[in-house]
Amino acid sequence: MFKIYYIETAQFSLFFQALKDNYRVFAPLAKDPAGQEVDYFYQGVSGDASFIFNPYRLVEPLKSFFTPALEKAAEYFNPRLTLNGTFKTIIFGVKNCDLIGHKIQDFVFLEGVEVDTSYRLKRENTILISSDCADFKAVCHCLAWDIQPYPTAGFDINLSPLSDGYIVEPGSEKGENLIQEYQEYFLPIREAQLAARRVKRENLVKRLQQHLLPQDLVPKSSVQKLVRDGYNLDTWRQFMSTCVECGGCNFICDTCHCFLLADKKEEQRNARLRLWDACLYANYARVAGGANPLKTRTQRLRFRYTKKFDFFVDNLGMPACCGCGRCIEVCPGKIDIREVLKDLAKKLKSSR
Amino acid sequence: MKNIYQPFEAILEDIIVETPTIKTFVFRPKLDFEFRTGQFIELTVPGIGEAPFTPSSDPGIKDRLEVTIMKAGKVTSILHALNKGVSVGIRGPYGKGYPLDNFEGKDILIVGGGVGLAPLRSLLFSLFSNIDRYNKVILRYGARTSADIVFKSSLPEWAKRKKVDLLATVDVGDPSWTGHVGLVTTVLKDLPVDIKNSVVIVCGPPIMMKFVNLKILDLGFRPQDIYLSMEKNMSCGLGKCGHCRIGSYYTCKDGPVFTYDVLKDIHDIWD
Repeated sequence: MFKIYYIETAQFSLFFQALKDNYRVFAPLAKDPAGQEVDYFYQGVSGDASFIFNPYRLVEPLKSFFTPALEKAAEYFNPRLTLNGTFKTIIFGVKNCDLIGHKIQDFVFLEGVEVDTSYRLKRENTILISSDCADFKAVCHCLAWDIQPYPTAGFDINLSPLSDGYIVEPGSEKGENLIQEYQEYFLPIREAQLAARRVKRENLVKRLQQHLLPQDLVPKSSVQKLVRDGYNLDTWRQFMSTCVECGGCNFICDTCHCFLLADKKEEQRNARLRLWDACLYANYARVAGGANPLKTRTQRLRFRYTKKFDFFVDNLGMPACCGCGRCIEVCPGKIDIREVLKDLAKKLKSSR
Repeated sequence: MKNIYQPFEAILEDIIVETPTIKTFVFRPKLDFEFRTGQFIELTVPGIGEAPFTPSSDPGIKDRLEVTIMKAGKVTSILHALNKGVSVGIRGPYGKGYPLDNFEGKDILIVGGGVGLAPLRSLLFSLFSNIDRYNKVILRYGARTSADIVFKSSLPEWAKRKKVDLLATVDVGDPSWTGHVGLVTTVLKDLPVDIKNSVVIVCGPPIMMKFVNLKILDLGFRPQDIYLSMEKNMSCGLGKCGHCRIGSYYTCKDGPVFTYDVLKDIHDIWD
């Protein structure tokens, strides 16, 4: 366990400014701050921009820093591209749902048959500074998956906001080293501050529970059985009817990891690009000659759910959904992952 | 540092025309390359793209690699238009390959359809090189017409080998064909095998595999003894890109050969 610190608001501003000299820093930016529910986006920090605390998760998934939507994955036969460490990066604004979702990305790209070196280097060179949620979006439902709205693991440093500063908790050597590097800004923690954090956390959990109670969401332990037993239900066809195959749910999802490789000729060499792919796209599973195991939107919608709630439960012991609700917000067809699962549960119950 | 998406170079040394739509490409890899029979590679046409293929050559041959390819899609059409001497890219080998140890002391029934005989040829070479370890090899091969038979000149040669029983059939006969006419399922009767001490290896188009599998199960072969090659969209080859998932498996890293007892509870495997 690492020692926990405290940083006062004024000192935090200095710390935030100082980081920019040595790191590439990304932090939340509020878009349309006057809107009903303010959205936050990651922004590269420069100049004397001040730190904005995001009370809930950002719009973009964390994965976009590690497997960008489009990047050059390789050059071949006369390569110029080399895999080197990228510039040291610090990302502020990460929430617990992002950290849980990121376990899926780590599992895919750091484990298995071979390691994706480019992903590993980016991961090694990035410091994740997460923070407790102080509020939630209408679509947030982390608690339904037994995920708390505050991080307990997976971060390098976690910030818990109090009225006059932040509790600063290192979660890794990387995080601890960063604090040591800037130790003049940090104070020892006091028990009263930790107690205040506990109260804040408990209050938010209570508020979120009250928000979720009327939604009557399915329990985490039931999801694998739901998608297995519900394979032939008409739920899929029914919810598919408004799907426009935009792939938005896939791209915005912090656990979706599928990509395709596409080659192109460059002057003296050949390049291989890696692009996000979406299982909602018609050609996702198509093979040469035209055979396609996922011919219909119904099949593809179901494929997305069996991947999240069956495949990953089998292979990683956890469903690949962190309750961030990004896919609900993005979907022009208003397909709601909570409602799909509830519909399966309802139909399976009535057929019994 | 290894880049898992980067292919290495191989030279296309020779092209053998097998049928009007199928060619065997002989490659000389510029790096040491070894594979186990049943494993596959990702073959790159530079600047165009890559596609998965299971080599058709003897894994015992280290300096050459043969891949038998049917013209079916974008990459294969361009491959078919290539001339000798050009460079291609190779990644791999990927997948688990055939578990030859499990075949020892057994009757090995091999059922092939069309270009599906390509990976099976690699298996046959592996079996032939240690034939004493196996009871016998029974090959049943079906092609649409006699013009669609691959490795046509090799078949009589294989049929003469010790411990080998070979029968080829065509769906549609013609005057040049004196052999059996009928779907490959029609030559699976009265097989000279001890079903209790056999393995069955099937490779061909999905529709053929589906019906062969049904027939084989009907004859009393056990699901765990039936090895099926799944054709899915294997893109990265490493279980990362997601495309080739069936149930809780990836075809690329957990297959592409699966026993039927693993597949039987997965929906829509033949689609």
